[in-house]
Amino acid sequence: MSETEQTEVFVQQLAECQGRMFGYIYSMLGEHSRAMDVVQETNLALWRKKDEFREGAPFMPWALAIARFQVLAHVRDQGRDKCLLDSELVAALSEEIEQQVDQLESMRIALRQCMSDLPREKIEMIKSRYYRSMTIAEIASAMGRQADAVKVALLRLRRALADCMHRKMLED
Amino acid sequence: MASSEIDEFERLLFDWEDGTLNAAGITRLRKLLHVNSDVRKAYVKRQFFGAIIRLDGDAGISSLAINEGEEDAVLFPVSDGAKFPANQPVDGKAGKIQITQGSGNVTRGSIRRNASLLFVFAASILLCVVLGRWLIVESRLQSAGSDRTAANTALPEKQEATSVGIALVTRLVDVTWQPSEKPFMVGDALPVGVVGLESGVAQIEFFCGATVILEGPSRLVLESSTVARLQSGRLRAQVPPAARGFQIHAEELKVVDLGTEFGVAVNEGEADVQVFDGEVELYHSNGEQRLVTAGKAVTRAVNGVLEDAELTPNMFLGLEGLDDRVRSQKQSRYQRWLEHSMKLRRDPRVITYYSMEQDRSWKRKLASSVVPENRDLDGAIVGAKRVVGRWPQKSGIEFKRPGDRVRVNIPGEFGSLTFACWVKIDSLDRWYSSLFLTDNYQRGEPHWQILDTGQLFFSVRLGEGRGKGHHKVLSPPFWDASLSGRWLHLATTYDVETMTTTHFLNGEKMCEERIPDELFVKQTCVGKATIGNWSSPTRPEADFAIRNLNGSMDEFVLFRDALKPDEVRDLFIQGSP
Repeated sequence: MSETEQTEVFVQQLAECQGRMFGYIYSMLGEHSRAMDVVQETNLALWRKKDEFREGAPFMPWALAIARFQVLAHVRDQGRDKCLLDSELVAALSEEIEQQVDQLESMRIALRQCMSDLPREKIEMIKSRYYRSMTIAEIASAMGRQADAVKVALLRLRRALADCMHRKMLED
Repeated sequence: MASSEIDEFERLLFDWEDGTLNAAGITRLRKLLHVNSDVRKAYVKRQFFGAIIRLDGDAGISSLAINEGEEDAVLFPVSDGAKFPANQPVDGKAGKIQITQGSGNVTRGSIRRNASLLFVFAASILLCVVLGRWLIVESRLQSAGSDRTAANTALPEKQEATSVGIALVTRLVDVTWQPSEKPFMVGDALPVGVVGLESGVAQIEFFCGATVILEGPSRLVLESSTVARLQSGRLRAQVPPAARGFQIHAEELKVVDLGTEFGVAVNEGEADVQVFDGEVELYHSNGEQRLVTAGKAVTRAVNGVLEDAELTPNMFLGLEGLDDRVRSQKQSRYQRWLEHSMKLRRDPRVITYYSMEQDRSWKRKLASSVVPENRDLDGAIVGAKRVVGRWPQKSGIEFKRPGDRVRVNIPGEFGSLTFACWVKIDSLDRWYSSLFLTDNYQRGEPHWQILDTGQLFFSVRLGEGRGKGHHKVLSPPFWDASLSGRWLHLATTYDVETMTTTHFLNGEKMCEERIPDELFVKQTCVGKATIGNWSSPTRPEADFAIRNLNGSMDEFVLFRDALKPDEVRDLFIQGSP
């Protein structure tokens, strides 16, 4: 295989694993823009190490192992102020999150199904919180409701959606 | 107690995400995570949920109508505009597409286009993103030198356990496999282990760059990407300079290549090494060592003695010779398909059949191949290009751009159905990649498509209303990037007698599912439909959903019957490229 073809294969694999990598890193950091930063740092590390990757070997475990290093480095640099997990927790949770990553795509499908059953107002709340990263206070003022009420509603909604998603996964 | 800790954890996590958790709360949250394994499980579950929901938010696909009722399920109506602040862009980092709510009247269509753009660009922008971020991260790394060494030196264990592929099968001619060994297909990655040919020829490309042509009957043990042991049979190796050092072991001989072309044969205890070009080093386990140069041959006799021998290059099939054989195999397979196709055209069970065979490249009509001729069944090619199909002498149709499609109109009412086609998928960019979709998707109309998860999807519309729309039958994921560019045979049967839908890949059943009574439709119909895409439904509120296939199709057939598994298998065998 020529070098160009190898690069193409590599880029393709890298592109395909972006969602799962984000899932992994986001689960560790729990914050969107920092997770995106670490995804990009991991991409860079993977790209630099592409010659070390043996073609035909599974890409994902390799990518996740490197992602874990990047998360650890991030946690160490940013420290306890910004990150919820410390390095011990990263190590403790890593394996479980890696297992979940394989199911990411089917979870996405399940979640779409669950979302489709929601009434409009609730969908708007989810969108505000998760797509537009609005704070509870912002959502409350936009909706003309008490912050506490919004919080309780969102907590319930999140739990119901997460449970629905896991239930749908089991049905399949 | 455990469940109350989980409740507490959830509230704390929620506040932490909101940025409103105080220091004591953070300490408490960490403590819970450290001491309670159920909390850790709940954490993973919640965070994963958060990741997924944000992924969909990022992709801008939140406005797509999905699932169940498909286009009738208006999931995310456009916001009223009044309730939410305008221009709340999603964090637009790293080349992502910003979705602005604007005045609240962003159409679903435009968000869809954004979503599809994102997918289309994902791969191509990746390098730019990587390179663009390079400088920033580079300087950051330099200021924190320890990071760099940590990331570069300590390689995680996981990486070591992954010696799955060391070579690729690139060509196979008339191959039968030894029954005790695993069969392979062109494009397969070969792991460490035995390649056992009963007959035929296999071309194997090692990841180091060496190419081996193995002639059956023979057994080759792949040991690493640079070493293989020939247990019996004959091979010819071509080793470009980049792969110097490639080794073939035969009996107690070790042939180390110095950039060349050579042949090795092992037969009843005798081993022959012949050098056609360049030179090789020969090591005998008794310590003897020889340099063998071009035009020379050495035999290790049964008694272990090395002797000079005569060069017989014609005994070893080379790349050129293999090429001839590949060509003649292609010709004979094409002929086999053609004969089968002639019979298929007259099969009374065929509703419509596009062999995509005799058409000229400039024709925009996709002629129906059904005999007796019925020109009303001809399809119209829109956008899509004619390309080379499974064989050089046969054409196929390539769908690339969002508008590419073939329009057909198939009147009549049917019961059981079978869809079958040869398809080469380049990638699955969309939520749904269409194989065959009826326009309106009304009662009795089938939808046949592939999900971005690599699952084949088949449904027949029952009626309006959420949850009552249809029963979808999903195959297990069958497609991933390793199948990109390979011709695959897909078939799905809808049997109204047994009320089952069955999916097939390359003639093998992937799954079978019975349709629940309340979602079953006995009478099917097609009408206006699209191959390789979805035409916007005619209802005024419905949007234009991009569902174009990214790939090529070569042969499409629809039967008014549920084919038996062996009939589907026959379609695959007779049409295999």
